[in-house]
Amino acid sequence: MKIVVGIKQVPETDSVKIDPKTNNLERSGIQGIINPFDKNAIEAALQLRDQAGGEVVLLSMGPDSYTSSLRDGMAMGADKAVLVSSRAFGGADTLATGYTLAKAVESIGDVDLVLFGRQSVDADTGQVGPIVAEFLSVPQVTFAETVSLESENTIIAKRQLDSAVQDIKLTLPAVITVRKELNNPRYETPVNMKESFEKPITVWTEADLNLDPSQIGQAGSPTSVTNVYAPTKEVKKTTILPEDPVQAVSELLGKLD
Amino acid sequence: MDNNEIWVYVETTGSKIEPTSLQLITKAKAIADGRKVVAVVPETSSINAETTVKEYGPDQIKTLVDDHFAHATDEEIADALFQVTDKNRPDSLLFPATILGRSIAPRLQAKLGTGLTGDCLDIYYQDGLLVQVKPTYGDNVMCDIVCPDRRPQMVTVRPNTFRAEKGTGGATEIVQSKFTFHKEANSEVVATDPIINSSSKLDDAKVVIALGRGAYSDKNIKLAQDLAAKLGGMVGVSRPLTDEPEFSHDDQIGIGGASLSADLLINLGISGAVQYTVGIKNAKKIVSVNIDKDAPIFDESDFAYVGDVTDFLNALLKQVR
Repeated sequence: MKIVVGIKQVPETDSVKIDPKTNNLERSGIQGIINPFDKNAIEAALQLRDQAGGEVVLLSMGPDSYTSSLRDGMAMGADKAVLVSSRAFGGADTLATGYTLAKAVESIGDVDLVLFGRQSVDADTGQVGPIVAEFLSVPQVTFAETVSLESENTIIAKRQLDSAVQDIKLTLPAVITVRKELNNPRYETPVNMKESFEKPITVWTEADLNLDPSQIGQAGSPTSVTNVYAPTKEVKKTTILPEDPVQAVSELLGKLD
Repeated sequence: MDNNEIWVYVETTGSKIEPTSLQLITKAKAIADGRKVVAVVPETSSINAETTVKEYGPDQIKTLVDDHFAHATDEEIADALFQVTDKNRPDSLLFPATILGRSIAPRLQAKLGTGLTGDCLDIYYQDGLLVQVKPTYGDNVMCDIVCPDRRPQMVTVRPNTFRAEKGTGGATEIVQSKFTFHKEANSEVVATDPIINSSSKLDDAKVVIALGRGAYSDKNIKLAQDLAAKLGGMVGVSRPLTDEPEFSHDDQIGIGGASLSADLLINLGISGAVQYTVGIKNAKKIVSVNIDKDAPIFDESDFAYVGDVTDFLNALLKQVR
């Protein structure tokens, strides 16, 4: 079974802030890490490989610095990695990103399953998985909380909607995006970390993929960001309740009615 | 061909209509400025969701009726929507940012080759374009996004961002759309188990007692549950407590969890990180209890009690009738 896991390198989000004066993103000196949800996707891929055999290929799109996340993913146990990287891909929104990743999956070839984390913690869109599935014309399960091999080429995944839990049977090839609750990602071991530096990272540019140049990068992106700013905060008029809990509660109940 | 219409996807599961879809009809009418508001309703023949949807006053309801929708996959729903959207493209197309909305909308986006902004917190028209306001970096940063050239301008909108209001006046035209339900050969919903307690979702609870790291103890959990029972409410938690055995992701308030619409919210030992407060913006009255007088949660609160959570809960349980 050949499994591709799409991963994204993200800044540690809690530390990204807006400079209130300039409205610029302050992200200098912030280290990139694997998007935490993507680790659940890698873990799911490794478990399926252990069960069915085959290989796990990590796939990412971004600058050279993304190799550090790909190494981390290989230190968890993935076999190899592909980085799609070129200035031509710059400025891609979700549509252009999904298109490019789908083309990369086609170039990897004979892929049975593509896994993604449920969403990235920086952009929070969760769109790329379904877009890739659509461009590949394959079925999907999103937000999967269990994934089990049913036969050589079928998987049953569970997904919780607001009012029901669905069991969805997929005939491979397919795309699955996974929830954090699916598993506990394994830690990198020293041996695997050492080995990760011997595993190959293939770098592809637009020349290596069979794609339509009008569908990548800025040109292939229908959306554009016109404004970035700090969220405005409404400051409420707060009533401070007295220190004694009994008095505090009676004042509160008097004012709530 | 494009038209000057705002379409709202009405999500139905079983006989239930997703409240966010109704909220979006109200919002669409508020920003329409002469544009026609159209509700698009895929449903089975036994649901008749249009009867309820009509009360919210869209200009038109397009129903897509087929009994396969009872167990349809994302691929099948996206395909049906594509058939009715592609030839006569609306100006804008709004989806609820539910699990289903977030799964179908991007597939449809790729079919239509247009832009989609996920999980919006606001939408409005400016110079003829739909401005899509979206949080990023864990809601620390806001972005305005537009889709200048391609149509429809697609968004998913976070549940409970807007309030649904029943419409007055104006006749609603109901049209049955022509389409063909195409069965997807390679995927199938083989089982659907209703979630029994879905009527008591945090998002829709009238009273919510919320526990944070600063209130985590067996005693406080018990007191909070007693209080919730007494007030006919539910207990929710901030993200850190979802890692504890008593709670799960389903109890989480804030990013990735519930957006409250409660009349009364009581925050216990919650400091008030942005990741949390984004989920409580639409709660009407907010009471917060924290030992730290400088806790940011107090800025979002109508009532502040600086002191011990257990003492406060004991007093409250005694005095509430």
